[in-house]
Amino acid sequence: MNFAKTIGLMGLVVACGAARAAGPSEAEVANAEEVVSKVRAAARYLHDKGTSAFADFHHKDSKWVWKDSYVFVYDCRKDRMIAHPLRPDLVGKPIMQITDNSGKFIFKELCKVGSEARGGWVEYSWPKPGAGRLSRKVSYAMAADISFSSGVQVSAGIYDEGITLAELNKVLEKMSDPAKYPAL
Amino acid sequence: MADQKLGNPAVVGLAGFGLTTMVLQFHNVGWMGLGPVVWLGLIFGGLAQMIAGLQEMKTGNNFGYCAFTGYGCFWIALALLLLGNHYNIYTSSKTDVGWFLVAWTLFTVILWVGAMRVSSALAITFTLLLIGFILLDLAHFGYPDLTVVAGYELMVTAAMAWYIMAHIIYADLFGRDVLPVGKPWLS
Repeated sequence: MNFAKTIGLMGLVVACGAARAAGPSEAEVANAEEVVSKVRAAARYLHDKGTSAFADFHHKDSKWVWKDSYVFVYDCRKDRMIAHPLRPDLVGKPIMQITDNSGKFIFKELCKVGSEARGGWVEYSWPKPGAGRLSRKVSYAMAADISFSSGVQVSAGIYDEGITLAELNKVLEKMSDPAKYPAL
Repeated sequence: MADQKLGNPAVVGLAGFGLTTMVLQFHNVGWMGLGPVVWLGLIFGGLAQMIAGLQEMKTGNNFGYCAFTGYGCFWIALALLLLGNHYNIYTSSKTDVGWFLVAWTLFTVILWVGAMRVSSALAITFTLLLIGFILLDLAHFGYPDLTVVAGYELMVTAAMAWYIMAHIIYADLFGRDVLPVGKPWLS
């Protein structure tokens, strides 16, 4: 192997590494199925543990933060953020007035679809973790069944510029049997 | 001393039962948080009602003895259960709380029949209380929206308990029956 070939090979290796660093690999991007499973697991966890479990959703290193997604917990009736691992400044604050850059009232929409029997999806703009800019986010919301606290919901989202709500609803349809898709 | 007038422990028992039940419903319909429910549940609905219940023993009133002591303990247990769930001590799932409420529903059925032998007002109070417990049971087993229905229904229950409390207090103060409680449903 001559010197030029060696340099060329090294350049290729560096370029491949840079490409991997520039765009997250598939393993680092949460998909819709994972989001639904995580949200269901979070709702189940809150059902079993009650309000003491809220504290477990505050931490960045908990199991509720994975890949580029995370579970956040809020109270639609009390209009309060209960837990948000990446935005602790929002915890305890009113949520209903929060809008994205198109003026959509994010939590009004989440609370609306989350109160439906199997939950639902809402798309909006939100900063992607680590990206430092707004991205299209589609979050899945569902009610958490806690004794004497009927307004609590849990939600998590995917960052995807292309996927449609119809496609996401198909995922939900496919996962309608929790026995086949157990909570993570 | 033998002729010394004694108070009726039921006024305190009904006051604690009514007020704490009312405050829990303010929470259940979404007007307020759980904090005051826990502390009132421990002190007024719990401790005071339980002491009133224990005082009923000396009056020879087994119904009041069992009901006030029992529901006093209900409030203490519920408040401790909520505290336990908050501080991660012997946590209860929603299903666990549901079964806790089912047991109290069954207890209430027995007292509901007894209440029909006391007065119309007490029979109405226990009928409403029983319906409220059943609604809360259902709210814990698949119908969470019924919590709000139970909330309004149990506010009426609490008001009925206060009506009977007022009946006893006013009869004493006015020297006549200002707020009648009606005849027993079962004779």
